[in-house]
Amino acid sequence: MTGDNSPILKVESLHKKFGDLHVLRGIDLTVNKGDAICLVGSSGSGKSTLLRCINFMEHPTAGKITIDGKVVGRESGTFESAPVYQYKERELIKVRTHVGMVFQQFNLFPHMTVLANVMEGLIQVRKLGKEKAHEIARSNLQRVELWEKAEQYPSRLSGGQQQRVAIARALAMEPDIMLFDEVTSSLDPELVGEVLKSIQDLSKAGMTMVVVTHELGFAYHVAKRVLFLHDGIIHEEGTPDEVLKHPGKERTKAFLAGFTDFNF
Amino acid sequence: MIEFEWNFGILVPYWGNFLRGAIVTIELSVIVIFASLLGGIVVGMARYSSNKWLNLPATVFVEIFRNTPVFVQIVWFFYAFPVLIGVQMEGFVAAILGVGLNMTAYTSEIYRAGIQSIHKGQWEAAKAVGMPYMRTMRRIILPQAIRRMIPAFANRIIEGAKATALASAIAVGELLHEGELLAQALYRPLEIYTVIAVLFFVLIYPLALWSYWLERRLRTDEKVTL
Repeated sequence: MTGDNSPILKVESLHKKFGDLHVLRGIDLTVNKGDAICLVGSSGSGKSTLLRCINFMEHPTAGKITIDGKVVGRESGTFESAPVYQYKERELIKVRTHVGMVFQQFNLFPHMTVLANVMEGLIQVRKLGKEKAHEIARSNLQRVELWEKAEQYPSRLSGGQQQRVAIARALAMEPDIMLFDEVTSSLDPELVGEVLKSIQDLSKAGMTMVVVTHELGFAYHVAKRVLFLHDGIIHEEGTPDEVLKHPGKERTKAFLAGFTDFNF
Repeated sequence: MIEFEWNFGILVPYWGNFLRGAIVTIELSVIVIFASLLGGIVVGMARYSSNKWLNLPATVFVEIFRNTPVFVQIVWFFYAFPVLIGVQMEGFVAAILGVGLNMTAYTSEIYRAGIQSIHKGQWEAAKAVGMPYMRTMRRIILPQAIRRMIPAFANRIIEGAKATALASAIAVGELLHEGELLAQALYRPLEIYTVIAVLFFVLIYPLALWSYWLERRLRTDEKVTL
């Protein structure tokens, strides 16, 4: 474990290519304990890819990722002057237990009850006994206010409820950092609020998080820092006020303008 | 048309032959069905794997057994395979190998398609909580996929049970072969083969009923919605 002043996550000159498509072109990002960082930007700017590289759903093409003070992978060369790492699946499995992730499509296990969804990782990965797993699952479901749905199957829940279960499932693993990948993008508008509220509560409780979102209001109120991604680089970053209210760069202004056209 | 006098009564003393044949048919079917359901998982997962050392042999296996007649496979295992291994093979074993491996090739494709039909988000969600590949397959993917495979398996099981009749060609004493022997002895092919057909129907139709029932049940019971 790390001291309080060393970052939980450090990303240095991260590159990601899909074939010829160079999606991330050298990203640097430091996340300290308790930080809430929001990534904003238009579709295709690379923000989801960045998030997916952090827990190695995608393997970075190059770049150094340090989680809890430990560099992930073994250096094996360079790409555009950035170090290239090789990863062993065994190591990545371990890394992922420290990094929680919530997806746009919830991805709950449909053949398991809500409770079983949350207990699965505790029993299968953390090897906890049934009772202990049940206790942790219960407290996390209470945290997202869904304990009363514990015995239901996911298909009986609304999208917002499913997403909150997904949050509880990730939290139950007691990760050091949570990643949220456009978690409200596939929800009906009236269900967005309850999910954002759960995330805000988490942040208030001190959970470290990186959030990819189109909800700029949420970013404004919850983020400690906002990063605007464009063309695979961090185009502008700063406090929510700096980036969202007083952007310095034309690209950022143009992006934000798209959101204000229909204000009322 | 020739006037023909049906006489099933003549077969009554031979009920034991039919019973013996039916038992062998059931034995063959049960062995072949269970072996192929189990073997199919292994071959199907290898087919799904991105590792070419698993994928390639599995693909070769499936293509060979799907693209040659099961009848040829049975005959090959009976007459050709023993030459290769230098051990004479019982017809029963050759029939199990022929029909069983053929069935395995088909069931493995059902497994592969079923596994592929599961949304990749399920893999990612399991990965995100730190589950390794095989455990994800066993705990998350297969339980959902098998549900979707059941109607296809039911069809395959029926096909497999019918295919066991081909073993008569290598003198395995299953239902059809018992019938052939009787027909040669009694010169009553019409009655005998009619009885054989009816017995096959009686054995296999419950499987069809079972598959209809399963399909209905799965439709009302489908929790797999996203």
